[in-house]
Amino acid sequence: MARGALWLGQVLAGPAIWAVTFAAVYALHGTGCAQGWDAMATPVGSVHRLAMALAWGAGLLACGGLLLRFSGTETRWQALPRMGAWIGLGATLFSLFPLIVLPAC
Amino acid sequence: MSDPTALGRESRAAARSRSGAFDIPENPPQRALALHRALTAVWANDPGWRGQITAVNHTTLGLRFMATALVFFAIGGILAMLIRTQLATPEGAFLDTELYNQIFTMHGSIMMFLFAIPMLEGLGIYMLPKMLGTRDMAFPRLTALGYWCYLFGGLIMLGALFAGVAPRDGWFMYTPLSGATYSPGINADVWLLGVTFVEISAIAAAVEITVTILRQRAPGMKLTEMPLFAWYMLGTSVMMLAGFPPLILASVLLEIERAFGWPFFEVARGGDPLLWQHLFWLFGHPEVYIIFLPAAGVLSTIIPVMCRTRILGYGAIVASIVALVFLSFGLWVHHMFTVGIPHMALAFFSAASLLVAVPTAVQVFAWIGTMWQGRPELHLPMYHVLGFFLTFVMGGLTGVMLALVPFNWQAHDTAFVTAHLHYVLIGGFVFPIMAAATYWMPQITGRARIRGVGEAAFWIILIGFHGTFFVMHLTGLLGMPRRIDIYPDNPEWIWLNLTSSIFSFVMTIGFALFALDLFLQATLGKRSARNPWQAPTLDWALALPAPAYNFASLPGPRLLTGEPARPALLPLARGEGVLPGAPRGRREFLVTSIGAARPDHVAVLPGNTALPLWLAGAIALFVLLMLSGHYIWTLPALTLVAALIWRWGRGLTTEQDHPAVEAAPGLSLPVHYHAHASLGHTGTICLLFSNGALFASLLFGLGFLTLVTPGPDAPEAFVPGQSAIPAMATVVAGLALGAIGVRLARHAVQGERGTGALWFSAVVNALALLAVAILGLGLMDDPTTHARDALRGVLAGYVALHALICTGFAAFALDQLRRGELANGRTGTLKTWRFWQDFSLATALLAGAAAIMQGGV
Repeated sequence: MARGALWLGQVLAGPAIWAVTFAAVYALHGTGCAQGWDAMATPVGSVHRLAMALAWGAGLLACGGLLLRFSGTETRWQALPRMGAWIGLGATLFSLFPLIVLPAC
Repeated sequence: MSDPTALGRESRAAARSRSGAFDIPENPPQRALALHRALTAVWANDPGWRGQITAVNHTTLGLRFMATALVFFAIGGILAMLIRTQLATPEGAFLDTELYNQIFTMHGSIMMFLFAIPMLEGLGIYMLPKMLGTRDMAFPRLTALGYWCYLFGGLIMLGALFAGVAPRDGWFMYTPLSGATYSPGINADVWLLGVTFVEISAIAAAVEITVTILRQRAPGMKLTEMPLFAWYMLGTSVMMLAGFPPLILASVLLEIERAFGWPFFEVARGGDPLLWQHLFWLFGHPEVYIIFLPAAGVLSTIIPVMCRTRILGYGAIVASIVALVFLSFGLWVHHMFTVGIPHMALAFFSAASLLVAVPTAVQVFAWIGTMWQGRPELHLPMYHVLGFFLTFVMGGLTGVMLALVPFNWQAHDTAFVTAHLHYVLIGGFVFPIMAAATYWMPQITGRARIRGVGEAAFWIILIGFHGTFFVMHLTGLLGMPRRIDIYPDNPEWIWLNLTSSIFSFVMTIGFALFALDLFLQATLGKRSARNPWQAPTLDWALALPAPAYNFASLPGPRLLTGEPARPALLPLARGEGVLPGAPRGRREFLVTSIGAARPDHVAVLPGNTALPLWLAGAIALFVLLMLSGHYIWTLPALTLVAALIWRWGRGLTTEQDHPAVEAAPGLSLPVHYHAHASLGHTGTICLLFSNGALFASLLFGLGFLTLVTPGPDAPEAFVPGQSAIPAMATVVAGLALGAIGVRLARHAVQGERGTGALWFSAVVNALALLAVAILGLGLMDDPTTHARDALRGVLAGYVALHALICTGFAAFALDQLRRGELANGRTGTLKTWRFWQDFSLATALLAGAAAIMQGGV
């Protein structure tokens, strides 16, 4: 039973990373706007944008790590965790890219 | 007797062996009729009227869910006709505004909560055990409880409509309109309590569908080889577990606000109407996919059969389901694009809304590819499949339009949105359900259909639907808002509305014909051939109509052929599969592992009982007392509910050791009382997952009101001069010691010396309950003062409820020990209790941390 549960966890890992990253960035966005983080500067942009970018980057790295971890594609059993990792990477990249092109608040 | 399929099965068994898969030898054949009689005696419903209230069988209850949902669909449809009659002319006097408001609210609420969701639940409950090769759902009494809750909740809402006090604030019940100030009377309460009552049924169905799919597949049916319908239903049930709690929480909060004045959504006291919108749409958008996924499962089942081929891209479709399950939870704000959210946040949700079209498109292309590679045959189910393609793709495209913020701002709350949602819901759910009905009617009734009526019904529905809703896009683009009852100053909308109204009646005639077609088939149709579609799934490897026990023996690896189901039918009926017959005179099925479906143990199910009806009746009593404002009398009703739950738990216990069961030659399996990971174990995890979603929604609400809501300054969290630390520490320590106690009890029970540990756990949990009561009643600020106080009060209530449940578990375990039910590896309720205890401890810690961070101590 543990093997099946582990496999399901592997399939869900990529989308779960997206979900956590998306929720974290949205929470940081709301918190930062409420607390005025946008006005606090760092050498690479505001604290607000930096915090969101770090969370985004961590999510992308985690999904990339999953892709390296799940390399097999021979059987459906092997391929689905890899597909899950691609879903996580694509969704994290696309749904959160506005944080580098739009004003925050 | 020679078996023409035996040679093929032997070679498949050899192939499985080479691939590392396990094999289970076949049982010797028996007389099929004798098996049928023995199984029917054990599995059949009680005779006569008593059988109507004590049935727990999934076939009976699945059909009952679907039939009741069809009745509600008819009622919702009649309400829609009243709406269209009113809107046919610009100054219609057919309905007054008050009644019109009630009718459009009830139309949406009925179609969503009393038709679509119960219909998909019923379909899953009816089909899954048959498709997966088992005899019933994981928790049959829970199935029955779900049905009665659904029926009673629906009747309460319907009764309110006939009494003229139905909800009237729209099916999403936005605050402040639905608050006590603008909606006095019980109309809004009917919605809040009625829908929450019905949602008990949804959560119950979600738990057992999840457990059934993960733990009851026929041995050897790996997750990656199970029918796609099961994957879709698995995705749906997980979404229900995560998606319904935000709505349940929102409904409970609004009801508390209306009944007791706790101001969660009231701006003047620090609340925020947008909190309702967030919580509602956290449920509301996944809801669209909760409805769509089972329908897509139907399509993935029917299309390859109708095209005489296999589904194209099984793996890609499973990946798409996974993507949809997750992405659909990242879209809810696109229903709130006009409420004043910063551009960057809008862009996040707009991007996610566009992204979700990708997995949907993958499925559509897989279905088109399947049709391309096969030989499509235009039987009646295929008509409805094609109706789905035409309608749903158009609805999907207008969905992409609405995902774009600038367009959304223009079309928001207009008839364009009404048209879009009907294209998505009728295209994405009703057409596939009609395909399912025409496909599985021979399986359900054992009769073939009468040609002609169904085809006519399809064309009339299709023409009526597009005539009604296509022009509604134009009405919306011309600016007509939703939910208005007259439009005397807008002559440009007149002909469009009249057209919609005329075609809506055409569509209704089509649905009436469709119902007539089903009725004629059920009553006058000729006897159907077995497996008339030559389908490969196990639901067709049954006698028609399906017997109460489904399979005389359960299909093992040698009978999971992936070919048309007919070859498996005879060996299964003769008992050559696993766990044949009912030699022990009790309801049994096989429980398997999650991944490879290896046999794990044999589950023994409870028989027919009226207990689910009584429990649902007690909950209905609570709801009615709340509705009538007799709040103090709800306490006896809740006590009755608790007593019946205790009685329910007693039905799961045993004082005896049960010997292992020989399910097949050389395959001896323990009975679930002695199993390491029973179905109850998996079900508890599912329920706690859903409970966790509710708690997370509560924390989201607290964070939202703290960080985003601009209201008046919040007062101190606790009474000035008093420290809440000792009471909070006592709560956490009590629950932590309880967690240690339950573990000690579990080990001690193996040596039959658990009494001390159980008493210890009971006492410390009761102390935790007392401490949280002191905290809530004596140390925390008045919850009617400010929204944050109110939410902290709810957090304290949540922790108190869990401490009470843990105390109840301890009392139940002590009773079990007294009766000699905890011994020799029979851990009774201890494992379930341990999960609840750990969960309660974790949430108490988080709740305490949130209170400290927000208000200080």
